Amino acid sequence: MDKPVLQDDQDSGFYAKHKKVYPREVHGLFASLRVIGVTVLLGFYYFVPWMYWNGKQAVLFDLPNRRFYIFDWTFWPQDFFYLAILLIIAAVALFFFTALAGRVWCGYACPQTAWTEVFLWIERKVEGSRNKQIKLDKAPLTRYKLSRKVLKHFIWISFSAWTGFTFVAYFTPVDQLASSIWNLTLGPWEWFWIVFYSFATYGNAGWMREQVCIYMCPYARFQSAMFDNNTLVISYDSVRGEPRGSRKKGIDPKSKNLGACVDCTLCVQVCPTGIDIRQGLQYQCIGCAACVDVCNEVMDKMGYSKNLVKYTTLNALDNIKTNVFRPRVVVYFVLLIALTSGLLYSMATRIPLELDVVRDRNALYRTTPLGYIENIYTLKIANKDLQDHTYVITMTAPFKSTFILRDKQVKVSANLTTNVSARIQADPVDIKAMSEKIEFQIVSINNPELNTTAKAVFLGPKPK
Amino acid sequence: MSINKFPFSAQRIISILWPSFLTAGLATILFFTAFDPQLIVAVSGFGEVSRLGGYSIGFFLFWLLTASSCSLTCFFQRPCPNATE
Repeated sequence: MDKPVLQDDQDSGFYAKHKKVYPREVHGLFASLRVIGVTVLLGFYYFVPWMYWNGKQAVLFDLPNRRFYIFDWTFWPQDFFYLAILLIIAAVALFFFTALAGRVWCGYACPQTAWTEVFLWIERKVEGSRNKQIKLDKAPLTRYKLSRKVLKHFIWISFSAWTGFTFVAYFTPVDQLASSIWNLTLGPWEWFWIVFYSFATYGNAGWMREQVCIYMCPYARFQSAMFDNNTLVISYDSVRGEPRGSRKKGIDPKSKNLGACVDCTLCVQVCPTGIDIRQGLQYQCIGCAACVDVCNEVMDKMGYSKNLVKYTTLNALDNIKTNVFRPRVVVYFVLLIALTSGLLYSMATRIPLELDVVRDRNALYRTTPLGYIENIYTLKIANKDLQDHTYVITMTAPFKSTFILRDKQVKVSANLTTNVSARIQADPVDIKAMSEKIEFQIVSINNPELNTTAKAVFLGPKPK
Repeated sequence: MSINKFPFSAQRIISILWPSFLTAGLATILFFTAFDPQLIVAVSGFGEVSRLGGYSIGFFLFWLLTASSCSLTCFFQRPCPNATE
């Protein structure tokens, strides 16, 4: 074929046939940091739905009732603004930390990393070390192998089911959820989402693992855009390491014309994505620093200085001074601080009360038998507080007018809305324009700090 | 040529289902923040559906929509007949 067509091996290179990666167990500073990260984050994940606050589930995203409860706060669909800002903050934080320290998110905090770490731990407890696992997979099916595999999948699936249950407990009150599972009275959608999330956990952490990072994660694809020569990366010091080769302990590598790398391949064996860090920076590298830990152990044993594989920057490798405060980092940081403080301020000063005014749609205005001009409004009062409140509604207009309400005081229960019909009447001689701006005020009797206003217009005939 | 060789490879299917899943999730959140599924169902006259059911059905409809557009993208990515002649 003379036309340049994708060859099969190129094609399969793009979508590689999967070979199972058996990451070797690793100990060291960064492995401990990851264990701490995983424990704290997953600890929060499994614990938070069980947390109670003032007799209610502290964190509950009550989708059926369209209310989000987070401690003393209640969020309504209208508060989507806060969620949007929160997501923007999360994105800017990701940019900031990526520009500064590379893929720390991937290596220490990503749920995929966290759950894979737990699944690997279970696999190790059941099937043994890396070598034993490889041996077991190659061995013919025996009763022993079957028992190990069944046990492993049983634990994986149980853990996944617990994970799925916890996920749904963020959206359905946890005590109700637990008791309706126990009594087999759970609704079909709750079942569906528990099974769905469990299956996703089992599939992603048990089977897909590094393939999620390599093929599915959008962040892995675009994170390199945030990298520059001053970003922290994990790198092998090839100047010091090469030429690599095995040697006996205590021999001066220079005498055998060798570098510091003893070519033990442990850095490859511990890698959760199955790459060789000595080939340079690769996008499959999730920055977990397992290779750093294991190589340091080897260097210690050989009596060489540490950090043949280390956290460094491309500039440092070229003997250029690393610049931490470059414009991109500063911009991300300023944005991050501004957005976070803005969000905190608006949350702190948020008033759990909302007033919306809807004009009567049927007529612009009507004339009463006594010759007054009347406008009709519906006032929608949303009490977003966790307590019932009684409100007083007042109105101010730039002309002489009568404000007519059926009840002077309106009681609205916690987390509910009430509609109140209001009428405004004015003598045509007092009205100066066809459209006049008016304002409604509402204030809680129990707590005068709970007050808000809403603007509206009063329409009338053309003034004579 | 080789692109056509495995029209239903696992990777092809994932590259349709996965991005559409992500965008369908986002669309579901945005859509149902603004519109209450129970009101929509009540207006359309499809009978009783719980809110959770409404969200779930909405999500799958969005997924169907985004997956169709991903499939079409995949389909049109195949080289035109005269381009490979």
